Amino acid sequence: MKQLSIMVDLDRCIGCKTCIVACRNHHGLVNHETAMPEGMSHYLRVESELTGTFPKLAEDNWVVMCQQCRKPPCVKACAAGAISKDAQTGIVRIDREKCTGAGTCIEKCPYGVIQFNAEGRFAHKCELCYDRVVHGQEPVCVEVCLADALRFGEREILLMQAEATGKKLLKKRSTQSILYVKRAD
Amino acid sequence: MSESKWIPTVCYQCKAECAILARVEDGVVREVKGNPRARGKMCVKGMAGITTLYSQERLKHPMKRVGERGEGKFVRIGWDEAMNIMETKLRELRKRGEGHKFTYSMFPHSTSDPKWRFVNAMGGFITTGLPHCDSAKIMAHLHTFGCFPNHHIAPMYYTVPKGGVMILSGRHPFGCLDDACVPRDILDAKERGAKLVVIDPIFRTEAGKADWWIPIRPGGDAALFLGMCNHLLTKGLHDKAFCDKWVRPGDMDGLMAFIKDKTPAAMSRICDVPARDIVKLAEMCAAAPSVCVDAFKSIMYGNAMDWGHAWSIFLVITGNLDNPGGQPMPEIAPMAPVPPVPPPPNLKELGYHRTGPNRSRFDHYTFFLQPTWYAAQAVREGSLKVFFASECNPALSEMGSGEWREAMTLKDRNGNYALELFVLTEIMPSETMKWADLVLPDQTNFERWELLYMPWWYNFGHTAAVCQPVVKPVGESRHANRVMIDLGKRMFPEYFAFKDDVEYYDIELSGIGMSMRKMLDGGAIWSPGTVGFRKYEDAGRFNTPSGRIELEWKMYGDIGQQWPSPELPLEFRRNADKYPFILVNFRTIFLNNTGAWSQNNAQLRDPVSGIDANPVLLNPVDAARLGIADGDMVTVASATGSVRLPAALTERIKPGCAGLIHGFGQTMGKVASRGAWAGDNELIADAGSHLDEQDLRGGEAHVSTRVKITK
Ligand code: SF4
Ligand code: SF4
Ligand code: SF4
Repeated sequence: MKQLSIMVDLDRCIGCKTCIVACRNHHGLVNHETAMPEGMSHYLRVESELTGTFPKLAEDNWVVMCQQCRKPPCVKACAAGAISKDAQTGIVRIDREKCTGAGTCIEKCPYGVIQFNAEGRFAHKCELCYDRVVHGQEPVCVEVCLADALRFGEREILLMQAEATGKKLLKKRSTQSILYVKRAD
Repeated sequence: MSESKWIPTVCYQCKAECAILARVEDGVVREVKGNPRARGKMCVKGMAGITTLYSQERLKHPMKRVGERGEGKFVRIGWDEAMNIMETKLRELRKRGEGHKFTYSMFPHSTSDPKWRFVNAMGGFITTGLPHCDSAKIMAHLHTFGCFPNHHIAPMYYTVPKGGVMILSGRHPFGCLDDACVPRDILDAKERGAKLVVIDPIFRTEAGKADWWIPIRPGGDAALFLGMCNHLLTKGLHDKAFCDKWVRPGDMDGLMAFIKDKTPAAMSRICDVPARDIVKLAEMCAAAPSVCVDAFKSIMYGNAMDWGHAWSIFLVITGNLDNPGGQPMPEIAPMAPVPPVPPPPNLKELGYHRTGPNRSRFDHYTFFLQPTWYAAQAVREGSLKVFFASECNPALSEMGSGEWREAMTLKDRNGNYALELFVLTEIMPSETMKWADLVLPDQTNFERWELLYMPWWYNFGHTAAVCQPVVKPVGESRHANRVMIDLGKRMFPEYFAFKDDVEYYDIELSGIGMSMRKMLDGGAIWSPGTVGFRKYEDAGRFNTPSGRIELEWKMYGDIGQQWPSPELPLEFRRNADKYPFILVNFRTIFLNNTGAWSQNNAQLRDPVSGIDANPVLLNPVDAARLGIADGDMVTVASATGSVRLPAALTERIKPGCAGLIHGFGQTMGKVASRGAWAGDNELIADAGSHLDEQDLRGGEAHVSTRVKITK
């Protein structure tokens, strides 16, 4: 299967949110003049987990964007047929023209990543920077990641790279096309 | 087709000033990113800079205070009137022979920043946030081996070899106030096989990535490092050849005598790090090809000079000076002077604006800048009459915020303000604005010219960059540099004979064979990329009076400070019964400290892309004892102030400590005033009037504060 992907290295992600703002800037998600905290669309978010008790602690950070599901529930949920999985790239795309703004996809997305534009009444989300990657560029978040925690490429190849650099796939998190890895130790 | 291009310039959402590219489409900045020709990274604050640029809340015209200071009421005025007000007052001050009672609080973007030039021409003082932060580090390194680092001069992590040790002792470099490439470079070094050791009472992202986290007692850093020095020296694990060659004769004997009783066991009792761990870390460092140390919050406590001294000794005896992976000794780009250069005021003669209880003893610490946090005392004693501020937010950044506010509104017998004129240049509404008489709309880094060549750039020395305007300025905003050049032309035409800022920079650049044109054609940066290691070998000396490394600070013999004391800051050693918690304030990447504009940036206060909470962090063990549940509102009180905040219970923090982010507390502006956030400086005592040991052990920075927490 053709599938583009991003590999998130938990040994490197520091949860700095640089990628979130860069993604917003690139995709014009913020009206800078009137922006107020809360309520700005965002195509990815940071999650983190602290484990242990003082002083034996460990912490992981990672980002969650559209997971480009193999069998996307959003595609099924959309009565208007506005969402599809692109055959060339495996990217799940929302056709803004067809989108009726019903919002069922938002409810059905298991990862909670689909955004709603109330003004234009349409759903939108991370499409792996489709307009960039089809021209040979990396997605914005991969390019700007402060800690070089993200890698872009074909899923199979990323898996090989993970293996070659001693990283183990975190199966629990890597349920769809986006990969989460950490040093095997 | 619309026109879109990436233009090289410089970020100034924080003081790191990273070289960046801005994508401008039809005259509007759409995107920004790190400049790959420089170090290639830009952090979240920088990315959110576009929101600052275009925010509706930008100040767009000069304003004059109406009503009393503190009320925050203004009327719009023209630039002419603003210039006249400044000129009239400053001329009057000089006529009275009180030019030195003018102080400008700013962040100089270079050692020849035009604003600084104006201050020198006026015979006034400059003050920066610098003495708050790390003057002890600067002083310690200057005294010991004659180099000038500051908090932006992080170790060069890209030079750390495999097996090298990187120690962060109360330092949060993932918060990006050095260059934005630092997190990447630390992680890359780790992947090369370097070790990351984090010494910190709070477990933060750095600790999460560390090979070893050591939750030290706050203020215990000097003790920990002296314990390591004891082990290294008594076991002969130090770099003997280096010390023999470079340390001033006699100092090693003095050090041996001094260090004898600083055993790991004895030091462990002070810093609360097990003696075996002190030994383990010492041996790890002795075996490593390089060790670098960085500290920031820890070097702000009341024993900062001792810690800086212990740290310097440690670097020397492990031979980690100006070597790959060790302590860099930066140089500054040799820019050409723009003659005639106005001479700086004679600090020795005029003295600092200091009024601490033991002021005379403080005079031992000679420093070329005026420490800001004495502003309140200076106003009270009449040595500060005219105050200008740019790119800083003293209402929040001054320790002892309450004292500062009082000083701003202090009146003489005739009902006139003791501080006669307070001028603030500002991009967006700020806390400080409320007390200013004149508020001048400043420009962001996207609208102005600036030449940057400070030595704290990560690449060190021999690096310059041009910040160039990429869009038209908002409203009537004018860059503070241009305002001061114009004022300089009116008042001191001999020193301001050049046409404008661009010509000024052009002349300066000739020092490195550059010009503004060549710089812009070359991507707005000049960076040969060479650092040059062990420069003292070429020079045959260190930049100290003796030319050797001076471990013993003989000039402080009369105050008993020739060797570093391992003791905790005095403030931590007393009143533990009344104020059982040690306040640990820390930074996040989402705030440019107290900087006004990051507080009013919607993206940086958004829970998804920034931070919108500043609870007081407590260990669950402590909270249980006090009957405090997660989310409870609590009162955090120090001897000099108190704030109400929600409590957040977390295993991250060492029991006995209360954690608070530094930089919240602004009430001006739509974004900043949304939450009931509080600033840590409400709790921290005004150093000039409250801290006893400040002048002896603290150098110029002291944030040591004990607090009690009640429901
Ligand atoms: S791939 Fe593009 S759209 Fe998706 S999160 Fe990254 S930057 Fe945003
Ligand atoms: S920029 Fe990189 S390190 Fe920062 S949160 Fe995003 S993925 Fe993580
Ligand atoms: S660290 Fe971030 S905010 Fe500071 S100058 Fe660099 S990119 Fe800008």
